[in-house]
Amino acid sequence: MREPRSIHGRMLALSVATTLVALPVAGFAIGGVLERFVTHGVDERLSDRLQLLGAVVRGDGTVDRTLLARAEVTAAFERGGVWTIDAPDGAFGSAMLPIAIAPPGDPRLGPGPRRERDAGMPFDTELADGTAMHGLMTVRQSSAGPVRLGVAVPRATIERPLRGALLPLLATLAIVALLLAVATLVQLRLGLRPLRVLRDRVAAVRSGAAGDVPEDQPEELRPLAVELNALVREQGAALATARGAAANLAHALKTPVATLALDLAGDPRGGQVARIDATIRHHLSRARGGVVDRRAATALQPAVEALVGVVAALHRGRGVTVAAEVPDATVAIDAADLDELVGNLIDNAARHARSSVMVAAERVGGFIELRVTDDGPGIPAADRARATDPGVRLDERGDGHGFGLTIVRDLAALYGGRLTLNEADGGGLVAAVTLPVSAAG
Amino acid sequence: MRILLVEDDPDLGPAIARALRAEQCAVDLVPSGIDAQHLGDTERYDVAVLDLGLPDREGTAVLKGWREGGRDLPVLVLTARDGWSDKVAGFKAGADDFLTKPFRIEELMMRLRALVRRAAGHGATRIACGPLAYETQTGVFELDGLPIKLTALEHRVLAALMLAKEAVIERLDLMERVYEGDADVDSNSLEVIIGRLRKKIGASLIETVRGRGYRLTAGGA
Repeated sequence: MREPRSIHGRMLALSVATTLVALPVAGFAIGGVLERFVTHGVDERLSDRLQLLGAVVRGDGTVDRTLLARAEVTAAFERGGVWTIDAPDGAFGSAMLPIAIAPPGDPRLGPGPRRERDAGMPFDTELADGTAMHGLMTVRQSSAGPVRLGVAVPRATIERPLRGALLPLLATLAIVALLLAVATLVQLRLGLRPLRVLRDRVAAVRSGAAGDVPEDQPEELRPLAVELNALVREQGAALATARGAAANLAHALKTPVATLALDLAGDPRGGQVARIDATIRHHLSRARGGVVDRRAATALQPAVEALVGVVAALHRGRGVTVAAEVPDATVAIDAADLDELVGNLIDNAARHARSSVMVAAERVGGFIELRVTDDGPGIPAADRARATDPGVRLDERGDGHGFGLTIVRDLAALYGGRLTLNEADGGGLVAAVTLPVSAAG
Repeated sequence: MRILLVEDDPDLGPAIARALRAEQCAVDLVPSGIDAQHLGDTERYDVAVLDLGLPDREGTAVLKGWREGGRDLPVLVLTARDGWSDKVAGFKAGADDFLTKPFRIEELMMRLRALVRRAAGHGATRIACGPLAYETQTGVFELDGLPIKLTALEHRVLAALMLAKEAVIERLDLMERVYEGDADVDSNSLEVIIGRLRKKIGASLIETVRGRGYRLTAGGA
């Protein structure tokens, strides 16, 4: 048989199997005890009768018929009870019980030590009409020879109370089984709950909502939590190393690429340098993104204002002014990612603007919608739709300009926000991006 | 225009210096942050080009040092670090402009000229003085609407005079803005250059102020 795949299933199956074996065993054991108990009670009574019957046999083996005729001797037998006296002077009784064939060698039949009271030897037999009987018999020694005495009642006398006890017994066992099942389920629920909690914590770590798994766990799970945290730390360190290496490689390449670009200025081969640069930028931006820390909380206003100042300074030569009207809010975005996202958004607008860029923001549900409006030529509607498709690079020319919106779109998506492009009043572009508001603010 | 170029890369530094000199600029190339700090504090430059990743002292530290020391020298940060957080940090440290590697020399030149022009207090890109005009974005001088040919030294002297037009530039100040730090300067050579310039643009535009220096003026004649 295949083992169930879940711990829950395994434990439940084990518990059900144990119950199914244990309950019949208990049932049989209780039934046996009960039968012995009832039989013992019946035998006690039969033994009393046997004693009474024994009193009518005289020492010489003759039967005291007057005594026998007295009602109390025979009337003492209840419904269906039978008796037999097989004495040397004849056989008496309500039915002839096959006591003569009692097994030889039975110590109680032999002359052995006299007991104060002869309890009799139990036997089971069947009457001529097929009634199953249970009885006791004994043999007395008289001067004329052995006198055999026997009393019996129908087996039903024993079986009736047993049958009566069967239903309550089965009901009790069923209740016990039910209680065990409930206890098992509760135990499984309680016992497995730390596993579920741990799983939720691991999921939280994976989604970035938590930094590590709490190590305050039940004893059996604590080593697992510790190992998980070590794994998370190692993975984080490895990732940081890899990203750092990618960034260092890209940055290290930029200086020689800059030298080449200067050397090849005006040379058609300079196009290759531009391609190298575009590739470096693309992969550098990819190395930056990727892992999101959802616990991050960054104040939007100072970040936007600093970036507005930087973009304004960078585009000062072109006579473009950048103004921002941003409310005080905290967004759940890493500070460097927010700089990258907003910086590219504003820079892209300033690049294309004729004279002004306007940055505004408002809260929409759990998000801040940041809108950057420029008075440039805008983007044709067909390209606008394409621009927000995932995986589409907005600028295939590869001169580096226009990468901005791709980075904005990808970064926003990473944090659960999205970039939408629309036409501004007067023909420019409105680039709107939704940024998740930090739970802290 | 005299430029302090701080770049430690043994290939890129000389390449930029060559390109800038080809644009008539005087360039002092320093590969060390500590030396750059010292030169910026003691010498007179029109503008500095500062790499951030320097071996001995971070570019931002050099920049902060200048700003804390009250130096208002325009500084363009030139770096491989192109993240917006790097740019914000650069501007917070006191940078006036930011250019990431790789770059086109035209872009660098345009930005440097704009920085120098703005530092001299000129809002417009074209500066005029009588019949003489200076297109700061391209570095071209025109006399009566026609471009004039100038040597590198003549260009530097005239650009300095033009940016300070109608004001006297001290002789020593002018020398410092024209010659590279390690140049072997003959004290008479400035007079020679002024003489040549007067021949090209007309003697009346450049006025000698006895005991002080020179002045470019439209109303001198």
